[in-house]
Amino acid sequence: MPNTSTQPEYIVEMRHITKRFPGIIANDDVTIQIRKGEIYALLGENGAGKSTLMSMLFGMYEPDEGEIYIRGKKEKITSPSYASSLNIGMVHQHFKLVSNYTIAQNIILGAEPKKKFLGMIPVVDEAKAEKDIAEISRQYGLEVDPTKIIEDVNVSTRQRVEILKMLYRNAEILIFDEPTAVLTPQEIDALLDIIRALRDGGKTIILITHKLEEIRKVADRCAILRRGKLIDVRDVPGMDAKQMAALMVGHEVQLTAEKSEAHMGAPVLEVEHLVVENEDKFDVVRDVSFTIHEGEIFSIAGVSGNGQTEIADAVAGLLRAKSGKIKLKGKDITDLDVRRRTLAGISYIPEDRQQVGLVLDFSLRDNLALKDYFKEPFKKSSILQQKVFEQNSEKLIERYDIRSASRGDTVVRSMSGGNQQKAIIGREIEQNADLCIFVQPTRGLDIGAIENIHKQIIAERDKGKAVLLVSLELDEVTELSDTIAVIYDGQIGKIAPAGEYTNAMLGEYMMGVAGTKQSEEAKHA
Amino acid sequence: MHDAKLYRRIAVIAVLLSLVAGAFVLLLLGRNPLMSYYNILQGSGLAPKAKYAAGKAMFTDLASLIDYWTPMIFAALACAVAMKTGLFNIGISGQMLTAGFIATITVGYSSLAPAAAKPLVIIIGMVTGMAVGALIGFLKFKFNINEVVSSIMINYIAEYVISFFIQTRFIDPLSRQSRTVSSAARLTLTDVLIAGYKFNIPLAFGLAIIAAFAVKIVLDRTVLGYELKAVGSNRTAAGYAGIRVGRSMVISMAISGALAGLAGVSYYLGYFASIQPKTLVSTGFDSIAVCLLGNSDPIGILFASFLIQVIGKGSTYMSSQQSVESEIVSVITGLILLFSACSVFFMGIVAARRKRSDAGTSDKAQA
Amino acid sequence: MNINMINNIIIDGMSFSLPLFIMAIGGIFSEKSGITNLALEGLQGMGAFIGALAATLAAAAGAPDASTKVLAFTFAAVGGGLYACLHAVLCIRFKANQVISGVVINILAMALTSFLTKVINRTMFGAASDKFILTVSKRITVPGISSIPVLGAFFTSVYPFEILIIVLAVIAWFVLYKTTFGLRLRACGDNPGAVDAAGGDVAKLHFAGVVISGALSGIAGMCFAYSILAKFSGDIYMGYGYLSIAGYIFGNWSLLPTLAACLIFGFARSSGYQLVKLLGMPSAYSDLVMILPYVLTLLLLVFLSKKNQAPKALGEIYDKSKR
Repeated sequence: MPNTSTQPEYIVEMRHITKRFPGIIANDDVTIQIRKGEIYALLGENGAGKSTLMSMLFGMYEPDEGEIYIRGKKEKITSPSYASSLNIGMVHQHFKLVSNYTIAQNIILGAEPKKKFLGMIPVVDEAKAEKDIAEISRQYGLEVDPTKIIEDVNVSTRQRVEILKMLYRNAEILIFDEPTAVLTPQEIDALLDIIRALRDGGKTIILITHKLEEIRKVADRCAILRRGKLIDVRDVPGMDAKQMAALMVGHEVQLTAEKSEAHMGAPVLEVEHLVVENEDKFDVVRDVSFTIHEGEIFSIAGVSGNGQTEIADAVAGLLRAKSGKIKLKGKDITDLDVRRRTLAGISYIPEDRQQVGLVLDFSLRDNLALKDYFKEPFKKSSILQQKVFEQNSEKLIERYDIRSASRGDTVVRSMSGGNQQKAIIGREIEQNADLCIFVQPTRGLDIGAIENIHKQIIAERDKGKAVLLVSLELDEVTELSDTIAVIYDGQIGKIAPAGEYTNAMLGEYMMGVAGTKQSEEAKHA
Repeated sequence: MHDAKLYRRIAVIAVLLSLVAGAFVLLLLGRNPLMSYYNILQGSGLAPKAKYAAGKAMFTDLASLIDYWTPMIFAALACAVAMKTGLFNIGISGQMLTAGFIATITVGYSSLAPAAAKPLVIIIGMVTGMAVGALIGFLKFKFNINEVVSSIMINYIAEYVISFFIQTRFIDPLSRQSRTVSSAARLTLTDVLIAGYKFNIPLAFGLAIIAAFAVKIVLDRTVLGYELKAVGSNRTAAGYAGIRVGRSMVISMAISGALAGLAGVSYYLGYFASIQPKTLVSTGFDSIAVCLLGNSDPIGILFASFLIQVIGKGSTYMSSQQSVESEIVSVITGLILLFSACSVFFMGIVAARRKRSDAGTSDKAQA
Repeated sequence: MNINMINNIIIDGMSFSLPLFIMAIGGIFSEKSGITNLALEGLQGMGAFIGALAATLAAAAGAPDASTKVLAFTFAAVGGGLYACLHAVLCIRFKANQVISGVVINILAMALTSFLTKVINRTMFGAASDKFILTVSKRITVPGISSIPVLGAFFTSVYPFEILIIVLAVIAWFVLYKTTFGLRLRACGDNPGAVDAAGGDVAKLHFAGVVISGALSGIAGMCFAYSILAKFSGDIYMGYGYLSIAGYIFGNWSLLPTLAACLIFGFARSSGYQLVKLLGMPSAYSDLVMILPYVLTLLLLVFLSKKNQAPKALGEIYDKSKR
């Protein structure tokens, strides 16, 4: 029982936590105990229940069963603001920032310093805010310019803002949810340094991640979750990576995909001096050229937001090229619309499966025909042929193991992310196109599903297709690619066979600090 | 399908709730709600009145109800086609007025024979409505103008411009309305004698029923319908699939406008034979209620429009019998609209409950 | 065209533009918080109805004119605010489509007010009437300044409510940009998740935005009832609510440009009237003039809609539990 007179052993205790969502048990009788001043890692696959567990600690959900003790005192954490009052802070995987506010405004939001206007009306004291923030950022080495607008700063700065938000509120217990997903290797190292510095400054850190490497670098202890259950808690020093991975997944895993030698053929996609601008008339892809051949997996590596998805969109026809040429099998397709490019032989697995790749309110059957409905035999003189739709849907459901409640009739919105992704990948691969574009094909999926998709990508290559892969996961890029192009600030810094890169090299190109093409105006951000 | 059945149940509940609320108001005003509602049935020809004027019977009222029902079917279908494409055509009244006016001055005041005049009225109505609808779609597609705002603006512009022309050129000094159209052009055959009783026979009614089924087939079974619905539920995904989103929106608004145009001619050159200046008919707005209540489904709309028009048609008789303001009917319609607007929420609740009870038995969903 | 006409254009223009402006400010509060508000039309009508009813009752009870008007505006604001709760509940609690909800609110407002006006007239005053007759508000002329040519017109024959609106507009600006409430409200329109994570109550902020829009619209409706209409009746639904929506869309959801847009509408309308008068055209021509603000709206939208940036999270249904 908690004792008020002495310091309790654990600063955070979550006992026998169970949380259910419609259809799944996100946490099943999980108990974790965290000591003050340690870096405690939560390791598990996507969907293992790590984020849900921490969301309960942060007051975003309440547990269905179980108790939470903070500093030995039982607490019912009903809201983020209550969590905040217990000095708990959280950096979410998707940053919670107001894009048109300054850094200072974002940091103080919800905990605004006030002054009196005319001696009676409380108003926000932005001057004091900026001063306080400057001081905290000096103290922890988190340099930011408080007057900058969030829209105008890069991802790692945004992350620093999120950390400052916690520190501004005097958080003692800091939760990081997959903080490295969007960073370059160098930025990751810098972040891990910051995390260590925070611990050394007396903070307690909880790190949610599925990357073993990070845990080995910084964590003191590590809890492993699988399918909502706590599997084990280990001291990190001296732990064995293979064994940890096995615990996480539940069976022995192959950490690298098997891949035969590439047999490259004729050029399929030729991109020449491509320039693409975004909505604000700003060039996000600047003079990019590359060629992809038959039987080649060509990856574009880079930090999120450097123009790689725009290249994919421009090749698929969703974005217009401002200048430059795109050729498919020698034919100029620069001015063709999306439909004509599809017919010319491009299939596309987009980054955002829910908003782009699927019509969520359509049935699975209709979604599986999204690229075919306008062709014979799916239609006959503009009447849709339900039978053909059904056959197509049954075929893909079987072939790609798409699981859903009522097969073709299922509304896609109700399906799990993994099965949604399988539906898209199945549909696009069945296009049998000469060029297959995969953008972030495994994001948010568990290891089993990732393995499967990697196999399919390699199979496409071995069939002699050209594959354009855009991924933020460096492991994925290095494992799959035959050729890697690294993009920074809309420009490709280097194109070379995958074997020529080391991880450090990739990182340098991703940050634009290596190579010849880096431009003097690179720091527009 | 599951959802459709669920929606029907919710729609019935919405109607019942509104009727109960209306009954409550009637009670407050010291009227007998059951009697009032019975009066509505009597007024709309679904129940016999105590006595009828010479040459009239229950079936006369019923025929008149169908005459009144016809434009509403078109109008609600117009709303539904736009809604399925994710567009909100609140300009149906303006499109009706424009179509009615153009048909009136071109054919209604001509001396064409019925066989030429009637089809011409229909064609002109459709084309005019289509033009106005397409304009709204074009403004949305080309200039990103919210279709609600632009169609309201066009409503007012149409209302005032047409009122100006009626008052300066086509006014009937006695009725203060536009001059009556020729009976050759009118889509309703008036005072047809059958078995000694007089009937108004709406020629466009058959067309309205055909239109309902045609819209259903187009939406459910054709390439165009697939594309419109894809645009309606997710524009980005539709673009990704190679559908030309802007074109689809313009086509959808053109079809919607054409249907509104048909509503216009079957109203101004059918149920009525003249246009009242400075007035937009409530049909255009009530059609939104009908469309929501009918879940934007053409067959649902047939039922919903019948219900709303019965209430509307019977209101005058009820008002005179009970000496209560006939506006109570628009309040009831408004409440139906209100409850239908919440349907998404109730469907969500039921779906969530169902999902929870299914949990564990079916697929293992991932978080 | 003489100086008198220019004066009239300014006087009428201002008395029409300012109510549009205050209603647009209400719309900005709602939309900056992230809730689409097409309900302004109905909100101003309902506000005017409640206000006119209060005024009629007060006048019947023999209250002096000035306090009647204060009462009317207070009730209009309260009535508009309360009725706006319906939109708020539909959008926030029942997660209805915000565009549909707005239109529903408008249709219901028209039906309810015209029904209740008739019923109340019959039961309370024994009269079969579909309106509440109001006296036109008195006008104020500032001595001295008003005699300056042209500029003086801005201080001539000013309705008291115009001053009220300017004061309210300044307060609205202060609240929106200087207080914590304003900071959080505007943040909701961009990223409600950020406000939630920072401990703000998104639903409450949404609610506040919508209710404020109702109160301000109610005041605007009362202004129309006390000026161009001199009554409450179904004539209040002239699309002014939609005009003010167009106003803040041009104004890019910020206050001063919105004021400019509303002034353009007002002056277009009043110049049109003066023109009809000047040319001695028959009254039917004033119908044509009536369309000027609407045509102008469409034209301006054609040029500005693409450029202007609506609040990022506008119209999104915020679901806390969505992961």
